[in-house]
Amino acid sequence: MRQTLLLSSRALRESVRTPEALFPTLFIPLFFLVVNVGQAGKIFPGTSTAFLHGQGYAGFQLPSSLLLGASFGSAALFLVEDIEGGYFDRLRATPISRTALVLSRLLAESVKALLLTAVLVAISLLLGVRVASGIGGFLLILLLNAAWAVVYAGFMQLIALKTRSGAATQSGGLVFFPLLFLTPSFVPRTMLTRPMEIAASCNPVTYIMEALRTLVLGHVDWGSVGLGFAVVAGLGVVMLALNLRMIRNYD
Amino acid sequence: MTWAVEAEGLRKTYPGRTGEVEAVRGVDLHVRAGEVFGFLGPNGAGKSTTVRMLTTLLTITAGRATIAGTDVAKDPDGVRRKIGVALQEAGLDPRQTGRELLTLQARLYGSTAAEAKDVAQAQLELVDLVESGDRRIKEYSGGMKRRLDLASALVHEPEVLFLDEPTTGLDPASRITIWEEVRRINARGTTVFLTTQYLEEADQLCDRLAIIDGGTIVLEGTPSDLKADLRERKQLSEEPTLDDVFLDATGRTRTRVAGEVAEVQA
Ligand SMILES: Nc1ncnc2c1ncn2[C@@H]1O[C@H](COP(=O)(O)OP(=O)(O)OP(=O)(O)O)[C@@H](O)[C@H]1O
Ligand SMILES: [Mg+2]
Repeated sequence: MRQTLLLSSRALRESVRTPEALFPTLFIPLFFLVVNVGQAGKIFPGTSTAFLHGQGYAGFQLPSSLLLGASFGSAALFLVEDIEGGYFDRLRATPISRTALVLSRLLAESVKALLLTAVLVAISLLLGVRVASGIGGFLLILLLNAAWAVVYAGFMQLIALKTRSGAATQSGGLVFFPLLFLTPSFVPRTMLTRPMEIAASCNPVTYIMEALRTLVLGHVDWGSVGLGFAVVAGLGVVMLALNLRMIRNYD
Repeated sequence: MTWAVEAEGLRKTYPGRTGEVEAVRGVDLHVRAGEVFGFLGPNGAGKSTTVRMLTTLLTITAGRATIAGTDVAKDPDGVRRKIGVALQEAGLDPRQTGRELLTLQARLYGSTAAEAKDVAQAQLELVDLVESGDRRIKEYSGGMKRRLDLASALVHEPEVLFLDEPTTGLDPASRITIWEEVRRINARGTTVFLTTQYLEEADQLCDRLAIIDGGTIVLEGTPSDLKADLRERKQLSEEPTLDDVFLDATGRTRTRVAGEVAEVQA
């Protein structure tokens, strides 16, 4: 645990020193939030759209943007730099637990995601969004989104450890496209066309998005919040197990 | 007696696209505690592969190896505590400063924050990097990186230090600096296992050496014995250089090498 913390703080220091990698994770989600609201805000006026529960369309879009911000997998991009630059071998030659090697970057990723999510939500308040579930709901939003960031970074780390190539890891990151867009990102799932609904229902991100959404829009549906957390926990366990297996067999 | 490094029948097979590559095919090694042991061989001979197996970074396909009595495959963490490693490509993190890198390294071996701070300072002094210690590593020159890499292999005072081509790519002055550091480290009692392409380096530094070619050891002994043997065998009128020993052992004669060069030029 001590080793994990040591390496995590190094990873955070690294991020602070690479602001150019941090800015897109903030601006791209904000860009999509503003653009999507600009495009569809008039079609779905808050006063007469039932699924908005009285909020503006921005409240409906915020979860998509939060998830986008948490789907950069920067932990894996830094990891693959360590691998390509040889520093990873130096760390592997020290008597630290193999778990710490993969866990430390994920821990740092969760800290970054908590901060990023808090900032994104704060900015969205300026755009008129209200977190209807209150401060407790806000904390759950932070937790859920950060957990997703860890799952996603864990997945990207698998690619990094397997391919050991920056280019391959970066293109592996393109899976965020289907993951984030085969979801009910513009309208609730019940309003999707049938094929799209099936695709969205098979996509685990849908359940995380719906959980975030019910926390933002109010009339909290605890069933869907629970489902969101269950999905992220399940995926988290799988990613952790696969990461550990990968590092144990790393040659 | 426990050997500092002992290997028996060490093998490594890499899975390759065009079938398997047998990089190391049955290497035996016996390195005494306290000596500087040179591991020589042409490009692709299997030097780095052997070092990576001995330092727990690569799994051993067959055979066995121990470091100061600890089995590499059975107790890798035990081995990791006893060894320091500086690989062929310096393993540094460009975004940390030299001091931060050394401090983190010391802490990973269990030092407290205060101890690690002192260790980092002492190591920076050892490799003459105190002035640049607080600069980011990405601003370092190649020679400075090599020296920092060497320092970070030493933070925990290892029993055995592995250096894979520590002076490749360095100018003659930096090379001599590294040699002096290796001698100083060795004088403190650390066993040094180093690979090199430079025969002069082996001649200068090593108590004993082994020459590997095509994944097997073709010659082993002290530099002076190897030279004397060649002189006697070839009935040479003057003392051969280690170059001659190397070329003879790896089946490359001067005329053949010259011929190949001429072919390339033509
Ligand atoms: N990861 C790998 N996968 C497949 N083959 C490899 C791998 N690493 C090395 N080899 C092959 O194994 C053989 C030995 O390589 P190695 O790097 O150990 O040689 P070396 O003696 O260190 O050479 P050099 O002096 O060029 O550093 C070479 O034929 C090389 O092509
Ligand atoms: Mg090599």
